[in-house]
Amino acid sequence: MHNNQTFADIFRASGISRRDFLKFCSLTSVYLGLSPSMVPKMVQAMETKPRTPVIWLHGLECTCCSESFIRSSHPTIEDIIFNMISLDYDDVLSAAAGHQLEDVRRKIMQEYKGKYILAVEGNASTKDDGVYCMVGGDSFLNTLKETAADAAAIIAWGACASYGCVQNADPNPTGAAPISEIIKNKPIVNVPGCPPISEVMTGVVAHFHTFGTLPELDRMGRPKAFYNTRIHDKCYRRAFYDAGMFVRSFDDEATRKGWCLYKMGCKGPTTYNACSKIQWNGGVSFPIGSGHPCIGCSEPNFWDKGPFYERLAEVSFLGTDSNADRIGVIAVGAAAAGAAAHAAVTAVKKAKAGNDSEEKA
Amino acid sequence: MGRIIEEIYVWRLPVRFYHWVNAICTVMLLLTGMYIAAPVINPPLGEAVWYNGMSWWRYLHFAAAFIFIANFLFRMYWALFGDDKYARFGGFQPWSPSWWGKPFREQVESYLFLRRDEPNYVGHNPVAALAHFIFIFCGSTFMILSGLAMYGENNPGGFSESLFGWMIPLFGGSYALHFAHHLLAWIFPIYLIMHLYAVFRHDVVDRTSVTSSIVTGYKHKVEEEPS
Repeated sequence: MHNNQTFADIFRASGISRRDFLKFCSLTSVYLGLSPSMVPKMVQAMETKPRTPVIWLHGLECTCCSESFIRSSHPTIEDIIFNMISLDYDDVLSAAAGHQLEDVRRKIMQEYKGKYILAVEGNASTKDDGVYCMVGGDSFLNTLKETAADAAAIIAWGACASYGCVQNADPNPTGAAPISEIIKNKPIVNVPGCPPISEVMTGVVAHFHTFGTLPELDRMGRPKAFYNTRIHDKCYRRAFYDAGMFVRSFDDEATRKGWCLYKMGCKGPTTYNACSKIQWNGGVSFPIGSGHPCIGCSEPNFWDKGPFYERLAEVSFLGTDSNADRIGVIAVGAAAAGAAAHAAVTAVKKAKAGNDSEEKA
Repeated sequence: MGRIIEEIYVWRLPVRFYHWVNAICTVMLLLTGMYIAAPVINPPLGEAVWYNGMSWWRYLHFAAAFIFIANFLFRMYWALFGDDKYARFGGFQPWSPSWWGKPFREQVESYLFLRRDEPNYVGHNPVAALAHFIFIFCGSTFMILSGLAMYGENNPGGFSESLFGWMIPLFGGSYALHFAHHLLAWIFPIYLIMHLYAVFRHDVVDRTSVTSSIVTGYKHKVEEEPS
């Protein structure tokens, strides 16, 4: 392994011209939301720093993050795993398997103690000592704790690692817990989404490599560059929202005209992600662009905020037929009925008191 | 009807002013808020630039909200520093066991028809004070904080988001906060029904002209009707 090679070395070795190398640096800094003055810094980092070793673990997950990752178009997957990061361990992509592979992980942990990035896809089951996710003969919970101990930083890929996703949706039978609930003493970057956008994933890695620090995070531990704004605020259908022009069913005229999907349960107004900016598959489209409401996959507990096609979530503990408005209407009705009953008793009492005083007189 | 034997000036102008601004704003906020959650009017076909169906409702909601907030802060000032014994916070001490003592118990018993006589208060009775604390003080505080947090969402790093954005992770995400804001909005119509009923009932039972007092400021003591 030639881990001391710099990015620039590798680019040169693979026949990439300096012009293309600079283009790559500029493009990456644009994705990171950096100002043009930062491009030289990125070029210098790419030329002088060795590749960042990355250990990529897979816990309770569906590999959709990896699927997204390998579809990255700026740069492509070959660039990323051969040139950008030194992906030293990934149990899904590695040719080796079993003890051979586990030894590599331990070797990297020793060689790059405190320097490697731990990328975690999926989360860990915490119930019954984590037996619901066993990898390489040990529970993923143990593997995660062991590998996290010497990591420089942790990247929590996807909604699973960031918030829990479908694994810890109600009733969460395996006690699945996001990384931030298991590892408390390491800096963690949450990159939520089911899956996250591939350019967002590579952007986070490039930022760490360039500056040696994690990107600026928001209140929920997400990189501000990609998760600072809502889908809604950058949505190209926003004009239809403001105009009050809404799709009412998936086969109406408004659907064909591409009006706002708010009434179809679009979670864009409550979802922080870069879909409406960067889009998917190299900028081909994104869910709303293809006529489907956003399901809010990069938000905490989005599975429990359903149904996907209604604006108002069901209140699960009161049964699937109740939402905030039904509860409200029933409560207002009860208040009105209570007032009416109280008035009736008051009237009866008053009439009785009147009769009593008449009798006395 | 009996003769008016005493006139008491209970609700000073700041209190009456607050009451009616608050009443109008609350109704406005409820109607516009419910509309924003479930917009029903669709404009005829055409270009989006010709219409502002949704943005106008949202504008009304935000405008009413800021008047509501200013009015609420004004009332808090009056409750803390105003020279007004019927509108001050001073008498309301739910942390003290004695506050929950005889007067509160007697008022509850009266409302539950367990007493024949009706205790009478010039200002708020203890049950009314508790209801106002829960529905109006706590309810408004929550709606203001959550509302400002959501208002700041479209301008990250801005004034509202910086000061109130912590509400979003506290509730576990933007959607959860929107949901709580929507659900708790329903306490206001519930309060409205109970408030109107209690006022009208007290007016009929006690004949203290409590209904008109929020316009004129005066409550009356009436001579018992000779039977």
